[in-house]
Amino acid sequence: MSEEFLRLFEKWKKAKGFLVVGRGVRRVDALEKVLGEARYVEDYFFDGMLYVRLVKSTIPHGRIKKIDVSGALRLPGVVGVFTAKDIPGINQVGYALPDQPLLAEGKVRFHGEVVALVAAEGPDVAEEAARLVKVEYEPLPAVFDPLEAMNSKVLVHEEKGSNIAETTKVRKGDVEKGFEQADVIVENTYRTGHQDHVYLETEGAVAVPEPGRITVIGSIQYPHLCQTITSRVLGLDMAQVRIVQASVGGAFGGKDDMGPLVTAKAALVAYKTGRPAMLVYTREDSFTSHCKRDPSIIEYKSGATSDGKLTAIQVKIILDSGAYANRGPFVLWRATMHASGPYEVPNAKVDGFLVYTNKVFEGSFRGFGNPQIQFAAESQMDELAEKLGLDPVEIRLRNILKPGSLTITSQKLDHSVGIGEAVKKLAEVSDFKRKWAEYRKDGGVKRRGIGIACGWHGISTSRGVPDWSNAYINIYKDGSVVCGTGICEIGQGTHTAHAQIVSEVLGIPIEHIKIVGGTTDAPDTGATHASRGSSIGGIGIFVAAAKLRERVEKVAAKLLGCTPEEVEIRDGKAYCRGVPDKYIEWRDLVKKCYETGVEMSATGYFFLPKGTFDQERGQGFAYPAYSYVANVAEVEVDMETGQVKVLRVWPALAAGKILNPTLVEGQLEGAIAQGLGYALMEELVFKDGVILNANLTDYVIPTVEDVPEVMKPVYVEDLYQYGPFGAKGVGEMALIPTPAAIINAIYNATGVRIRELPATPEKLYFALKKARG
Amino acid sequence: MLPRFKYLRPKSFEEALELLDKYGEQAKLLAGGTDLIVKMKDDVVKPKYVIDLSRLEELKFISKEDGVIKIGALTTLREIETSPIIRENVHVLSDAVEKMASWQIRNLGTIGGNLCNASPAADTAPPLLVLEAELKLTSSEGERTVPIDQFFTGPGETILKNNELLTEIQIPIMSNHAGTAFLKLGRRFAHTLSIVSVATLVVVEDDVFKDVRIALGSVAPTPVRAKKTEDRFRGLSATKDVVEKNCVWVVEDVSPISDVRASAEYRKEMSIVLTKRALIEALDEVR
Ligand SMILES: Cc1cc2nc3c(=O)[nH]c(=O)nc-3n(C[C@H](O)[C@H](O)[C@H](O)COP(=O)(O)OP(=O)(O)OC[C@H]3O[C@@H](n4cnc5c(N)ncnc54)[C@H](O)[C@@H]3O)c2cc1C
Repeated sequence: MSEEFLRLFEKWKKAKGFLVVGRGVRRVDALEKVLGEARYVEDYFFDGMLYVRLVKSTIPHGRIKKIDVSGALRLPGVVGVFTAKDIPGINQVGYALPDQPLLAEGKVRFHGEVVALVAAEGPDVAEEAARLVKVEYEPLPAVFDPLEAMNSKVLVHEEKGSNIAETTKVRKGDVEKGFEQADVIVENTYRTGHQDHVYLETEGAVAVPEPGRITVIGSIQYPHLCQTITSRVLGLDMAQVRIVQASVGGAFGGKDDMGPLVTAKAALVAYKTGRPAMLVYTREDSFTSHCKRDPSIIEYKSGATSDGKLTAIQVKIILDSGAYANRGPFVLWRATMHASGPYEVPNAKVDGFLVYTNKVFEGSFRGFGNPQIQFAAESQMDELAEKLGLDPVEIRLRNILKPGSLTITSQKLDHSVGIGEAVKKLAEVSDFKRKWAEYRKDGGVKRRGIGIACGWHGISTSRGVPDWSNAYINIYKDGSVVCGTGICEIGQGTHTAHAQIVSEVLGIPIEHIKIVGGTTDAPDTGATHASRGSSIGGIGIFVAAAKLRERVEKVAAKLLGCTPEEVEIRDGKAYCRGVPDKYIEWRDLVKKCYETGVEMSATGYFFLPKGTFDQERGQGFAYPAYSYVANVAEVEVDMETGQVKVLRVWPALAAGKILNPTLVEGQLEGAIAQGLGYALMEELVFKDGVILNANLTDYVIPTVEDVPEVMKPVYVEDLYQYGPFGAKGVGEMALIPTPAAIINAIYNATGVRIRELPATPEKLYFALKKARG
Repeated sequence: MLPRFKYLRPKSFEEALELLDKYGEQAKLLAGGTDLIVKMKDDVVKPKYVIDLSRLEELKFISKEDGVIKIGALTTLREIETSPIIRENVHVLSDAVEKMASWQIRNLGTIGGNLCNASPAADTAPPLLVLEAELKLTSSEGERTVPIDQFFTGPGETILKNNELLTEIQIPIMSNHAGTAFLKLGRRFAHTLSIVSVATLVVVEDDVFKDVRIALGSVAPTPVRAKKTEDRFRGLSATKDVVEKNCVWVVEDVSPISDVRASAEYRKEMSIVLTKRALIEALDEVR
């Protein structure tokens, strides 16, 4: 299988130039979005549709004694109230561990946990009825602080016997020896807080019963996972549950986790009532009850020799998972394996702990554990540099990963490691060294600062966790093409990149290609997460298209009187290389294929080859390859108020082939804005497990006035052997180093280092004041 | 979800007063609704009746006559922001309005609503306080005019009676040349509620502070004038040094609380910084 793929890939790698790959072609969904024709969940309406509202826990921890639905049912217009006992299948939706019910059963474990669903003829009645559902609780002592939870007698999940949901480790070399060899040692504790996705569109799904099956249209990232979980909850075959993505108003990982939870809830109501049912979370529901970025506490010790070479790191990572593990074990795993940053470190000891607390559960969010750990790792690098009298670029380059390097899991990186070159170029275009030296001498009330930070991000799933790509392509008789993929369009433009791949390989204009994505009618393509939609997701499309191309080429060669290798197809015409005035129209060629018994459909299955990881030894294969990123941030700090204005950010990517620079710029700009929010302002405030700012008045995210100018990106196209045209992944990348780049810039400006995110004006102000003495 | 209520839309100002007389206690007035509807959705207020004033054209105007600028209570924030009369005569008000909310909210929200909502963070209050505006309050029983510094009585509370509405804001145009400034500090650079806001007004004669007015938002139960601090300045030489030395006293005029937006301590310290900067900016304008 992979041999066939490699043959096709090698063949295309030799291409002298590209027709559409690498160009900023217009998004295939631009028009429908600009015209307002794209339909999001709430834009759907079906006759007889019910509206579903949530009944949520009002306490952080307790036993459910009784649920009295009589008052709600008496309200005219109310059709039903559904609790755990109404679930026909299995009330279990835990992702990594089987610890999470769809609807609370026996116990509630966080304030805002969904206890029941109310279905009514209209949204207002449903809301009113939800308030009339009386849940009687026996409150239990609750635990909110992860450090406390690690040794607490209060157990979020009694049956586990501990609040530690998962541990991870890396062991390489001998850290004691490593620290002995070090001339300088830096040791600090870092903390990061929750981050809410704040997608424009909240979570939602509409379920429609049909003869013999149920269709659910949702705001989702992985239709087949929604299908798995929804069918399990309903006790149906997967084949009886069809999932289709709606247009998605932002996802950022949150809808990877929440998608199945909303499709299952809407489907449950539709299944029980036989009527279409729509569930859309309010913004408050979204704040109180959807998973966030895991807060972290990271203890980090680094050692380096006087010439700036890292000798050892020792890291302890504690992630607060909230009430359920959800993706936490994978988030923690990723944070652990990336703990070094993209550097060679001979000795490493990393321990990770995922801890339950009685707060809203955590989950997938752009960067997936990496923003937390790279913030710590990249702050450490700057502190080492400071102690050694090196500049931040220099110390990074002395340790940077290169082809042939070993990671901290002793995985050898044999190719596609472009980070060193990216950092060098980035330092040049941002004039880093000069500014860095100048700004640190700055006085005055408003001070400039510049900072750099790197990041790396393993692509695909970790370890031996299976990952694959697939797609189908149908070429119709008139030459137009439909390509089906499970990958979702969540605003990032991935279906445009997919259309480019098909267009490139078949040589036909994009207008004749239709991507049908985000549906269980297409092959399971894995989730649209981990920056894999265009790259890993695109492999299947590439393979299917390349197979069809070879079939068509043979027919064309016969008609043109040349060899298949000499056939060129562009703009919907097939030529023999070097004979520009003789061609066959694509449409005629396809007709010929149909007439001569050539199959005009293909799938493109590809199973990623992987290694194994030894959990006991904490060593082995972590990820098939890594995407790399570096950002330089330039800031202006108001010394009297603590306000930080991020003026400019220069991003650099070593993410393999850049399939569509316009789409990539969109991802870079969005990721930088989101990283800035995380670094400087976004913060959930809890009191006894209750979120005090579950609204957009007091959970602040950056506005257009807050985001910096994002400068022309540096691209190092370090092609990846299995990526379509060598692409790796982009979506998450630029968020990962943004917090550290900003915090390092603040240090450069002020001489004060913030180790707890977010660095709000107030926090920085008091830190500056303390430093002044 | 909006709670149930009865919606009333008077066709005239007189009818509005009648409705207020009838339902005053159980009614809420609706201007732009950008505060009221949010509060109703959050279950903070549950009026039985909502009296919609938004169509009362007679309360939408900006005029200048006999040295007084008059603004109808239903004038939108956007209209104030773009009014040449305001910009040319009392730019400190349009400066403040410009920094409020977003364009969309400013198209809906009114100056009357901002004042009557009586949030300690109401951004039109500090400029109107330093301009010593007067508010015209009207009921079926008649009219009264009160200085704005007597209008607010607590968070969300004013001297308005149940059957009374705010009809007009009157701003006297000062005869001597005054410098003014408005500064606001929030958790981000736009579309943000104030952690501290400050408006200042200075009049300088013979290089001496003849008049200094300072008003702050978000640092007390109501928007406040910093009278004690103002008094210290009068008669002192109008220099940056004097401002820097004396602005620290402003903490004596404020009584901030800690909440999710900021701590009391930070608000205090920022009151000083913003007062200093706003005074220097106002001073620069007259020099
Ligand atoms: C997203 C957003 C951002 C915001 N940002 C800011 C900001 O930066 N700064 C700021 O100061 N405010 C801000 N606000 C608050 C609000 O927009 C303003 O206070 C606005 O001026 C309110 O005016 P309105 O006409 O919408 O008032 P409404 O909501 O209609 O009324 C507010 C209150 O005043 C009463 N009322 C209205 N008119 C009269 C009258 N003539 N006589 C007697 N009582 C009356 C109403 O009964 C109600 O109690 C923001 C609001 C939102 C939703």
